[in-house]
Amino acid sequence: MGVVLSNIVAIYRRELQSYFVSPLAYAITGIFWFIAGLFFILILMGPDGILAAVAALDTQGQQFGVPVPPIDVPYEFVRAFLDRMGWLLLFVLPILSMGLYAEERKRGTLELLATSPVTNWAVAIGKLLGVVTFFTTMVVPMLALEAIALSASSPAMPPTIPLLGHLALILLAAAILSLGMFISSLTDSTILAAVLTFATILLLLFVDLIAKNISGPIGQALGYLSLLKHYNNLIQGIFDSSSLVLFGSYIVLGIFLTAQSIDALRFQRQ
Amino acid sequence: MKIIATKKLWKYLIWLGLFLATAGLATGLVANEWGTIPLALIISGTVIIGLWLVLQSQESNWWGRRSTQAGTNALVATLAVLAILGLINFLASRYEVRVDLTETQLFTLAPESKELVRNLKQPVKVLVFDVAQNPQDRELLENYQKQNSKFQFEYIDPQARPGLVEKFGVKDYGEVYLESGNKRQLLQVVNVNDRLSEIKLTNGLQQISSTSTAKVYFLQGHGERQLTSGEGAISQAVQALGNKNYTTAPLNLVEKSSVPSDANVLVIAGPKRSLFDGEVKVLRDYLNQGGNLLLAIDPGTDPKLDSLLTEWGVKLDNRLAVDVSGSVAFGPAVPIVTEYGQHPITKDFGNSISFYRLARPIETTPVPGVEATKLLLTKPYPNTWAESDLQNENLQFNEGKDLKGPLTLGVALKRKLPVPSQANPSPTPPANPTATESRMVVIGDSDFATDGSFAQQLNGDVFLNSVNWASQQDRQPLSIRPKEPKNRRINLTSAQANVLALSSLLVLPLIGFAVAAILWWLRR
Repeated sequence: MGVVLSNIVAIYRRELQSYFVSPLAYAITGIFWFIAGLFFILILMGPDGILAAVAALDTQGQQFGVPVPPIDVPYEFVRAFLDRMGWLLLFVLPILSMGLYAEERKRGTLELLATSPVTNWAVAIGKLLGVVTFFTTMVVPMLALEAIALSASSPAMPPTIPLLGHLALILLAAAILSLGMFISSLTDSTILAAVLTFATILLLLFVDLIAKNISGPIGQALGYLSLLKHYNNLIQGIFDSSSLVLFGSYIVLGIFLTAQSIDALRFQRQ
Repeated sequence: MKIIATKKLWKYLIWLGLFLATAGLATGLVANEWGTIPLALIISGTVIIGLWLVLQSQESNWWGRRSTQAGTNALVATLAVLAILGLINFLASRYEVRVDLTETQLFTLAPESKELVRNLKQPVKVLVFDVAQNPQDRELLENYQKQNSKFQFEYIDPQARPGLVEKFGVKDYGEVYLESGNKRQLLQVVNVNDRLSEIKLTNGLQQISSTSTAKVYFLQGHGERQLTSGEGAISQAVQALGNKNYTTAPLNLVEKSSVPSDANVLVIAGPKRSLFDGEVKVLRDYLNQGGNLLLAIDPGTDPKLDSLLTEWGVKLDNRLAVDVSGSVAFGPAVPIVTEYGQHPITKDFGNSISFYRLARPIETTPVPGVEATKLLLTKPYPNTWAESDLQNENLQFNEGKDLKGPLTLGVALKRKLPVPSQANPSPTPPANPTATESRMVVIGDSDFATDGSFAQQLNGDVFLNSVNWASQQDRQPLSIRPKEPKNRRINLTSAQANVLALSSLLVLPLIGFAVAAILWWLRR
């Protein structure tokens, strides 16, 4: 067990190092920060942003003496921001996951990995941990920005809901990256891996829309598979054990399928 | 040659099998019904795929190969993992732990709602006639559904289901109906500003799932309004009562010596001839035992109820209410009411319109023990007054003879019953032993509830609410506190705003791009 763990850690460190010296990774991070920042500013302070809208409501209420219904501005803001971030993942994550195995395959190092004494699933876990860590690093500055905005809220907002929301964001990312990793292990073309991952995520996000039109247990089951539905549940502040289990299942499934696909490769080469 | 050709053709059997199976699945899913055709397609498809597998294995000893064995192992393992994960998720969704972390429990049903839904005896279905499915509304409905599987909901595209639209009488997008058994009722209309409300939903559920029915009798025999459709009948009103869970029946007091004991309300709508003294006595007894009366008396008639009404402090004025406020649609003989009293009957009316063709004003004098509330008030003088001289073609107010507006066209009254003394048992058992008060609604017009007028403006509501209040069946709606988020604002200082804008749009992305450029330069 200790050996497996140290193997995982070794893979994890190698992966992480490769990210932090890769210009491409930083370029992606820069783009991600820019778009996320744009969403952040537009949602909060933009002309149609939440602050402007609520200020207009308040002045209207004062002018006409109509009581304004209670609005939890920071809550609405965090929810709206995390919602947009969920969509942004759709474009960023396939780029992060596309190279995980496809790059190794292209460079011919996959044989080394496949025939090494490290078990396939340990490799997969290490790689997944690496990419999830990298993504988390990408998100942390946004969290700092949010903290500045939320610190200005009156009365103060307890941090439970933002924290749960970001946990959901990381979990959603991990689930998508895990599936992306499997897709990346199937092909030696990074572009193909990215496109396929994009399509898969799109399907998993939209399965909810399809399910809404199907009644009965099939529709319910399909709707349950939807990542977006569970993500939305969590970011609005509902902690639901079944959502966590679903995200966990996607992660496990991705790792298992990756290991299977590398196993098949090992067999083919023999 | 021919044999090879057919052998080769067998290879393509797999496509036929897959095609049939897919077609079967698709038809089943689309029709949402697993009848003969989809099942037949799926079965034949599977059989053909199986046949193909057998043929393939015979042809090339396919099963014996190692790659096949490894592949099969992988396939079995994958299927097993999928099955396990599916099972785990199934159990997780069944036994989920849900914690609402919002401060005001925004997404948790009120205990009253939970209790009510859990105790539903009969299936209740909520039908939302809308194309767009608001996630908030859906969430609420799903929350209800989690409590009890007898609660169902469905979103319906009104254009795709004209039959249902007809059945429910849907007029607009966003209408939400409740259906239980053969009872149906409109709950609310949802739109962008008005989302589905738990308060309305729970109270609607309470109403539709209650099994108790109130009985409404309509007095007949003195030229009252007919219950079945015809000239000046009130069949629409009777039908609307039926939809609201009331049973209705005509009553002729000449044949009976008392009002039936199951009567919740007795309606006397537009009698043309006077009642007999004996009938008035029966009515008085009925009221003294906790009975409830709805009177709609047109001008120009004298039902000889004055002696009874005086006890309640009500006097029917003999003059005619006129309204010259310049309404084009209605003449001066049709007073329009836009002002309503503070009373359960009229509390939701705001200043909407109801109208009363040929109505008489009602005067009230305070009587000890009787609580009177003016329900329907016309506009003030000079717009309305009570005209005494109906022969004169020139409508004008005559000081001394006419009564200045605002006129009262309807009043609601209730009177506490004296506590029955045990020592002196009454000869007849009280009709309603649990009643503590009797109620009366007097309206100086019966036209407003007749067919045609009933469906217009608020007229129907005036009638139905009056019956509902008078029947003493007005169940207290469950007092559910509306879910409101905590009131909170973000007050950014300009310095904070600048820091946020600069760092998110400029500094952070620049760091990313700069590091990328440097690394790229170094690697080169």
